[in-house]
Amino acid sequence: MIRSIDAYRDIVSAPVIRQLRRLGERLGGIRVVHVNSTAEGGGVAEILAWMVPLMRDLGIDAQWRVIQGTPEFFSVTKAIHNGLQGYPVSITGKDWEIYQEVNQSNAVQLRAELEEADIVVIHDPQPAPLLGLCRNRKGKWIWRAHIDISRPSRPVWKTLRSHVEKYDASIFSMNPFAQLLPHPQFVIAPSIDPLSEKNMELDQDELDAVRERFGLNTRKPLLVQISRFDRFKDPVGVIKAYHLIRTVIPVQLVLAGGEATDDPEGKAVIGEVREAAGNDPDIHVLLLPPDAHRTINALQRLADIIIQKSTREGFGLTVTEGLWKGKPVIGGDSGGIRLQVIGYYTGFLVNTPEGTARRIRFLLHHRERMSQMGVTAREFVRENFLLTRHLREYLTLMLLLRSGVGEHRIFI
Amino acid sequence: MNPFEIKDCALLTRMSGLPAAFNLRELRDRIASCSADVLYHHFCETPLAPSFDYPDYRNDFAVWIKHKLDDDILAERLGIIDPYSFPSMEKLRVATLEIIDDRLSELTVIPWARPGHEFYFTEASTVVFDTGERVLHPKDLGAAIGAMTTGSIYYHFLEARRRPPRCVDDFSSWLSGFGKAWAPHVRALKQIDFTFYTLAELRTELLKVLKDVKGSNERAGKRAKP
Repeated sequence: MIRSIDAYRDIVSAPVIRQLRRLGERLGGIRVVHVNSTAEGGGVAEILAWMVPLMRDLGIDAQWRVIQGTPEFFSVTKAIHNGLQGYPVSITGKDWEIYQEVNQSNAVQLRAELEEADIVVIHDPQPAPLLGLCRNRKGKWIWRAHIDISRPSRPVWKTLRSHVEKYDASIFSMNPFAQLLPHPQFVIAPSIDPLSEKNMELDQDELDAVRERFGLNTRKPLLVQISRFDRFKDPVGVIKAYHLIRTVIPVQLVLAGGEATDDPEGKAVIGEVREAAGNDPDIHVLLLPPDAHRTINALQRLADIIIQKSTREGFGLTVTEGLWKGKPVIGGDSGGIRLQVIGYYTGFLVNTPEGTARRIRFLLHHRERMSQMGVTAREFVRENFLLTRHLREYLTLMLLLRSGVGEHRIFI
Repeated sequence: MNPFEIKDCALLTRMSGLPAAFNLRELRDRIASCSADVLYHHFCETPLAPSFDYPDYRNDFAVWIKHKLDDDILAERLGIIDPYSFPSMEKLRVATLEIIDDRLSELTVIPWARPGHEFYFTEASTVVFDTGERVLHPKDLGAAIGAMTTGSIYYHFLEARRRPPRCVDDFSSWLSGFGKAWAPHVRALKQIDFTFYTLAELRTELLKVLKDVKGSNERAGKRAKP
C-alpha cells in the first residue's frame, strides 16, 4: 500500500514530517535508483518497499530495480553472504565468474538508467559489481551493506572489496560492521514501518483468528521467534531452550518464517528444525508465504516474549518489530541485537540455549517487569528506529554527497 | 531587533578511520590523537544519535567505560564533564586525558572490553538549513519552540554554545536584545541543567521554563496593581 509521509504525523509528530519535507525540497527532484537482489522476503526488500514510495512523496524521483539471477548465482551469493558473516565457505574461481556474468547480463538491462541517475544505491553484495560495469556513470554511487561483516572471511572480503572500494561512499548498519575502505563510511541503522501490515495495530478478533488457525493455547505462555530458516538464527538452539523451560513451566513455541528467493539453504535448515521439534504439539514450525505480514504481526502481538537468538545478525529488524509491539526480547548477543536489547530494560542478551531458557523463566515470573520493559521499548523505537529517522539520514547523506562528502558541515 | 531565524539540522554519523579501542590505554591514546570533530561528536552530539538506551552519562566515553570496562569510578569522573564549559575542544581534550591518566595511575591492571564490545571512534557530518520560519516577538518564542524539531532544539540550544557568543544559547542571545523585560526569561533558560535531558525532554523543559517565568511575571503584575 502506497501512503504519504503525512500518514505518520500522529505517530512521530508534525515537526518530524515537516523536517523531512524540507530536506526533500532541498534535493530538488533528483533521480535515485536503488538496486537489490530480491523483490520480496528479507529485510532489504521490506525497507525498499516503503522507502521508495516515501522518497517519491518527498519529491525525489526514486526507482527500485531488482537484479535477475540464476539458482547458481544465488548459491554463490549465499556463500558470499555467509563468508562475509564469518562462516567458512569455499568460493571457487568459477563461482566468482558466475557472480560476474549475472551482473554483466543485468548491467545490459540497467546500464542506461544507472549511468544517468544522480544517486545509485546498491544494496548488499549481490549487485556490487554493477558500478564497474557502468563506466559512464554521472552520479554518486553508494554501497549499502545490510549484513554483519565485522569479521569476514578474508578471501571473500578481498574479492568483494575490489568491487566496493570504487564507490563514492558506503553505509553500514552499525559501527563494528564498517570495514576499512578508501571512501567515507556512514552509519545508518535500519528501521521499521509502523503502518505496514507487519507493524500496524490489529484488532482482537484478528488476533483470536490467528491463534485459532495455528492451534495455539490461550493458557500457556507463548514464545515466538520470527526469522527466515537460517543457521545463523539458531532455530535449533531455540528448541533446546524450549525443552529446558518445559521442564518447569508449560510454554508453547512458534518458529515462523519464510524462505527468501535468494536463500537456497533454507530447506535444509527447515528439515533440521522439524527433526528437533519432533511431534511436540506445543512447538509450531510455520513456513509462511512472503506476504504473510499480518500473520507475523499477529503472532508477535500474541507472544508473551519475542526471541531472536541469532549467532550472527545484521541489525535484527524482527527485534525492533517485537519491541515496537511492547514485548521484551531475548536476543542473541550479536550484531544489531546488542544495540536494541538492553539488559533489564528492553530484554536480555543471551549466548546459549541455557541462557535463553533462564532469562525466559525469569521474565515469566516477573510479569510487571515485562510490561514495564514493553513500554520503554516502544518509546525508544518511536524516538529512534522508525522509518522517518531512516529516511532523514538517507536524505542527509544525499545532500552531503551532492555537496562533497569531505565537508563535515554544510549550510543549505 | 531582527526576527529569530529558525534553523534545523540533520546529522549523519560516519567512521573516523581511527582503529577501535579495546582497552583503557588504547582509548586514552586515541583521544589524544583524534580530531576535534571526533571529540565533539562523542561529547556533544550524542543526543542526536539513535539509541535504545537511556544512558547514565551524556558522553560516549563515560558510557563505554561504565558498561564495557566496568570502571564506575572513571565513568563517574568523566560523566560529570560539561563539554560546553571549555573554551575549546583542545582544552576539553586536555582535561579528559588528565582524568584518564589519573585513573590509569591508580589501576594495577588495564581494563579491557570483551571482543565485540570495543569503542568505535566516529564523527558526524551535519546539514544545517534555514526552515524559513521566523519568530517576530519574544512572546511567540514558546509556541515556536513547541513546534520545533529536535534538530532545531539541538542547533539553537546546545550547538549554539560552540558559536560566538560562546556558551550562550541562541534563544537567550536573541531575548537579551529585547531589554530588561525579558531578563528573567534569559536567567531561567541559563538555569536549565540540559545534561540530563533528551532533546524531546529538553523541548518540554524549555516550554515549562518560559511558561513559569510568564506566570510569575503576570502574578507580580497583578500584585503591583493598586
